[in-house]
Amino acid sequence: MSTNYIGQSVKRLEDKRFITGKGRYTDDIKLPGMLYAYILRSPYAHARIKSMDTSGAEKMEGVVKVYTGKDFEEVNGVPCGWQVNFKDGTTMREPKHPLLVSDKARHAGDGVAMVVANNYYTARDAADEIRIDWEVLPAVTNAKAAMEPGAPKVHDEFEDNMVFDWEIGNPKEEVDAAMATATHITKLDFTNNRVAPNAIEPRSYVGHYDPVYDKYTLYTSTQNPHLIRLLMCAFVLGIPEHKVRVLGPDVGGGFGSKIYHYVEEALVTLASKELGAPIKWTSDRSEAFLSDAHGRDHISSAEMGFDDEGKIVGLRIKTFANIGAYLSTFSTAVPTYLHGTLLQGLYTTPKIHLDMTCAFTHTTAVDAYRGAGRPEATYLLERLVETAAHEMGMDPAELRFKNFIPAFDGVNEPGYQTQVALQYDSGNYHAVLERGLEMLGYEDFKKEQEEARKQGRYLGVGISTYIEACGIAPSAVVGALGARAGLFESAQVRVQPTGKVSVYTGSHSHGQGHETTFAQVVADKLGIAMEDVDIVHGDSDAVAFGMGTYGSRSLAVGGSAIVKSIEKVLEKGAKIAAHKLETSEDDLEYKNGAWTIKGTDRSISFGDVALTAYVPHVYPEGLEPGLDFSSFYDPTNFTYPFGCHICVVEVDADTGKVEIKRMIAVDDVGNVINPMIVDGQIHGGLAQGIGQALLEGVQYDESGQLVNGTFMDYAMPRADDLPSFETDRKVTPCPHNPLGVKGAGEAGAIGSTPAVVNAVMNALWHKGVRDLEMPLTPERVWKAMNGQ
Amino acid sequence: MDLSGSHVLEAPVETIWKMILDPETLARITPGISQLELESEDNYKAIAEVKIGPVKGRFEGTAQIVDKSEHESLTLKVQQNSKIGNVAADVFMKMEPAEEGKTRLSFDGKANVSGLLARTGGRVMTGVANTLTKQFFDNFEAELKRD
Repeated sequence: MSTNYIGQSVKRLEDKRFITGKGRYTDDIKLPGMLYAYILRSPYAHARIKSMDTSGAEKMEGVVKVYTGKDFEEVNGVPCGWQVNFKDGTTMREPKHPLLVSDKARHAGDGVAMVVANNYYTARDAADEIRIDWEVLPAVTNAKAAMEPGAPKVHDEFEDNMVFDWEIGNPKEEVDAAMATATHITKLDFTNNRVAPNAIEPRSYVGHYDPVYDKYTLYTSTQNPHLIRLLMCAFVLGIPEHKVRVLGPDVGGGFGSKIYHYVEEALVTLASKELGAPIKWTSDRSEAFLSDAHGRDHISSAEMGFDDEGKIVGLRIKTFANIGAYLSTFSTAVPTYLHGTLLQGLYTTPKIHLDMTCAFTHTTAVDAYRGAGRPEATYLLERLVETAAHEMGMDPAELRFKNFIPAFDGVNEPGYQTQVALQYDSGNYHAVLERGLEMLGYEDFKKEQEEARKQGRYLGVGISTYIEACGIAPSAVVGALGARAGLFESAQVRVQPTGKVSVYTGSHSHGQGHETTFAQVVADKLGIAMEDVDIVHGDSDAVAFGMGTYGSRSLAVGGSAIVKSIEKVLEKGAKIAAHKLETSEDDLEYKNGAWTIKGTDRSISFGDVALTAYVPHVYPEGLEPGLDFSSFYDPTNFTYPFGCHICVVEVDADTGKVEIKRMIAVDDVGNVINPMIVDGQIHGGLAQGIGQALLEGVQYDESGQLVNGTFMDYAMPRADDLPSFETDRKVTPCPHNPLGVKGAGEAGAIGSTPAVVNAVMNALWHKGVRDLEMPLTPERVWKAMNGQ
Repeated sequence: MDLSGSHVLEAPVETIWKMILDPETLARITPGISQLELESEDNYKAIAEVKIGPVKGRFEGTAQIVDKSEHESLTLKVQQNSKIGNVAADVFMKMEPAEEGKTRLSFDGKANVSGLLARTGGRVMTGVANTLTKQFFDNFEAELKRD
């Protein structure tokens, strides 16, 4: 049969169960005799536990056990997955992140006790009966303030709150010298606001120890089951990996917040063995605000220098990044290797220097959130470029074109070596901006804006161009940069005797549609029907190994591993086919699901070869039976999607409310397997990026209380906050992976935020407004418009 | 959260001072307080029921009067704990004689709230504090008329 799935908007196979409410999430799992856990969390950001009395809770009917920090003092804390060194080479400060704290709480929401009972509500009510005598201590929630002398300390064992200081780019003195030649310098001081990920499905875990087989099973709402198993077994619990099965059933979104190994995963696993029963813990929504890792939270002071022709001559940045109270799994990589390395952007900036200080504060941990470091880099660059253009009286698009890296395909031209360690694979940056401006009707818009202004209406346009680094790899490189894990992916393609194909991938979907996209690739490459392909993921017993899904790596790394295994299947299949057709492999070609002798109509189907492989009665001598291959694919480089996002806003002159009139996104994510899925990912990312710009922001008060920890207080974007998105694509294939794909999951959240803010600044430039802190709430905008 | 208020009450300073130091009276005039027991001089055990916007809770804790300057001022230190979060407040209360034997009673303080109360009640806290302040003075006036 003839198949052509790649590039088609095949409807998502998994949606049959999702949109009919039949998905099976961790909290849907009910095991016989299951007990329920509730975590009692510190009401204070920083407070010493003077004493704790759990007897009231223990006496309650239905309560099985109350655990406190003292029960786990011998257990290792959850580890950090990435080691970053200080500028002077010493290792980062890595305090223990205990499963429950026994000495003092270091952020509002720090776990202090776990009540296990025969149902959730009993556990929760019992937790109210735990009496704790607290000594409340002063707290610090801002990374810059945390580095001031005399700031309250998060970890008593260190002399101050610095996790590490770090730098990247050209030597500082070279950058200073370049900046000294600038005829114009644009300087911005700003905060990249802290946001909460808010996946639809709150975190949920079920630990189940089976004494008969001496085996643990953990069901977890994670983005990477194998990594959780590795971290939990090797670092926290010391249980051999072969005794632990980690299952990630359907997972309802993650946006980064479900990458990390959380203490509750280890708690339910340990307690399950001790209590001889499965134990479930599920976060409630408000608890998620306190205990899921947040994103962003940088305080920066950035300067970009230009010569008299508008060419960028240098970029100098000082940033304080908030890491929270403990080191979350990838927290240390985000402000450093995932952020500093993207400061070249799309520009030929010859000298760049980033001076980064990461600080502990009395807040929830900060880790990767959709884009992870790249949105922060893009925000900084695109705000600077746009502001510089206005300051110099130049057109912001023109200034970008002038400074863009020229197009290169990575095949005929080499990759582009940046000043900040990375080598871009391929790119054509002019093309996306040209297309974006064309979609907008840039020149017409400028006239419309003039007209509107005469009527007292404030229209503004903001441009943002971005590049991101996806599919982090290869392992050797990330290892040299401090990663404590490899960043490859595995895939097994198991052809069944009837010619049906089971694919076991280490990538793990949390809503991205892997079961469809991967099946499209497999069906196309094998020339079989999609319904003959089954994608298995999220089970550490079924899949050999995996690094999970984040950083838009699923297709670029996971998909490539599948292709590598398919190649092995076809290679062995050809040997069987040649034997059956009594010809040489060289005379065969594989197309439409069959091996055919070139120039003849003599062929053998994929199914017949599959059957022969398992029923090897007529079989080549010396060849093993079976048709089942695994691959571990370790890419040679990251992939580098890029794009241009343009936002048009109107600011209400009376109220300061920002209305997005148009949102244009032209993205180049390399080859596209399923356009509908890519569009969906772009749309979701745009919504999150716009949310950060206009609505969202985690707020702590001065005592470290999270004051907007519910959806009544934390403004998630809703449908009526968003316009209809106008999207288009350019395609610059990735030159180094077999699918030519780059990744699309984060793009929308990276480019959109600065586009929105730039648009608002453009609308209000004539009112003297130059910069505003996100989110751009009506109150902030109104005050700025009115000179307050 | 900042707490402040000021009101002229129709009674001399001596009367106001006595009423504030009397647990039964204080319990009646302070909004939400359902029980106030004198444990030792100037140390009270307090139970309060408070409903703030979407959050409702029963608070238990202590109230302590310190830095007493007779007929002039005192500081009330309150520590209240509940399932929905804790409140710690220091309130400086001042009494000044006003015309015709009246008293200007003013207070100024700061309350630190924590937990769910801070997370979900923060939005409405200031409004609630204003309402409670008004209730306090209204109750005080009613109490004065009672006698």
